Amino acid sequence: MKKTNKWSVRDVITTALLTTLLVVIQLAVNMICMVNDFVSMVLSVGITMFLCAPVYFLMVSRVHKRFVTLAYMTILGFIFLAMGNWYLLPYYMAVGVICEIILWNNGWESKKKLTAAWTISSLLYNGVNLLPLWFFRDTYESFALSAGMEQSYIDSFVRYYSSSVWLVFIILFTTICGFAGSLVSGKLIQKHFKKAGVL
Amino acid sequence: MQRTDAAISVKLWALVCTIMGISLTSNMVLTCVLAMCGFTFLAVQRNFRLLRGFGVFYLILAILLCLIRFYGLHMMVFSEFHVLMFWNLSPVFIVGWDLITTPPGELAAFLSYIHTPTPIILGVLVMFRFFPTMRAELKCVWQSMRNRGLTSPSQLLCHPAVSCEYVLIPILLRCLQIADQLSVSAVARGAENPAKRGSYYSRKINFSDSVWFVVWSSVTALFLVLGGVRL
Repeated sequence: MKKTNKWSVRDVITTALLTTLLVVIQLAVNMICMVNDFVSMVLSVGITMFLCAPVYFLMVSRVHKRFVTLAYMTILGFIFLAMGNWYLLPYYMAVGVICEIILWNNGWESKKKLTAAWTISSLLYNGVNLLPLWFFRDTYESFALSAGMEQSYIDSFVRYYSSSVWLVFIILFTTICGFAGSLVSGKLIQKHFKKAGVL
Repeated sequence: MQRTDAAISVKLWALVCTIMGISLTSNMVLTCVLAMCGFTFLAVQRNFRLLRGFGVFYLILAILLCLIRFYGLHMMVFSEFHVLMFWNLSPVFIVGWDLITTPPGELAAFLSYIHTPTPIILGVLVMFRFFPTMRAELKCVWQSMRNRGLTSPSQLLCHPAVSCEYVLIPILLRCLQIADQLSVSAVARGAENPAKRGSYYSRKINFSDSVWFVVWSSVTALFLVLGGVRL
């Protein structure tokens, strides 16, 4: 029987359900990481991408069609839009398009292409922390100052995103975590889901 | 006391207003105006459970913000930036959670009425019902882990990766099962039928809804005028 690229009801529901799970994991990790500034600003994105990789791999492998990543990134963008960061919606849609290009030719069947797509999206996911501070640093500073924070405190808080050494570390750490998460996910998919016959 | 939910269109408009407000404002501390409007909106709908929960949360944020502003509080475990972030986002949380907890039938009826494509209706309903379903599933996973002695602090600390696997894999498998069950149910109820959908839950806009349309529009406009707009 010829396979079509048209989404069925099951594909829509699977994507919606697993995308919500991904968003919930991302927000939960961010909330837990908020207890410490270093963990929150430097490590949280990497930890998130590592933990979300199995869910992403399962979602793309299960739906087995194009535009899954674009749908996921668009929903993620809408969540950030609701949080007041409207510019993250077009940004994440662009990240989704890049991942779709990587996965275009049956990429969901290739572990290498899935790994590449997730590693690239991990690298670009840093936009969630960097873009607001780069584009709206003045607004953030005036906001913080109006709320009673000292300038020295604000400077120490944003130093991770102002220093090039820290920036390189953050980007490298996140990309490595995304890559490691992809490797682990490939093994988990093989060990549990393929064996159980759900893929 | 029985809840008297506002029309979905009003709830959506309230969400749009709060998102526009927090996205465009240059005075984030003043978002309390939108939050107060949100609390009044909940009270009028007699949604007292949500009102109590968010009320306590907002009060804690207000106390922390006062301590930061007037007593120079610096917290070791939860930064001041995050307090401000939650303060700023609270209006969206209040109105958004009110929308999420609306009965799904009413939501589906409204989305069908405005000719939303079926895949989007399905996606929205699945997302909104995710939280109660997953809470129950997580409880089951935790219980079975406890039965096998896998929830002791020493086990969790010494084997974090395996513990993650024990939680994640059953949840993912259950998600796939739920997706299959929901798909079968949706198809059986005619989700793939291209004809126009009807609903038992159709609800017309009444006078109170019209008033809330005006209130949300005016409060947001006033808030942006008073607080200033960043572009």
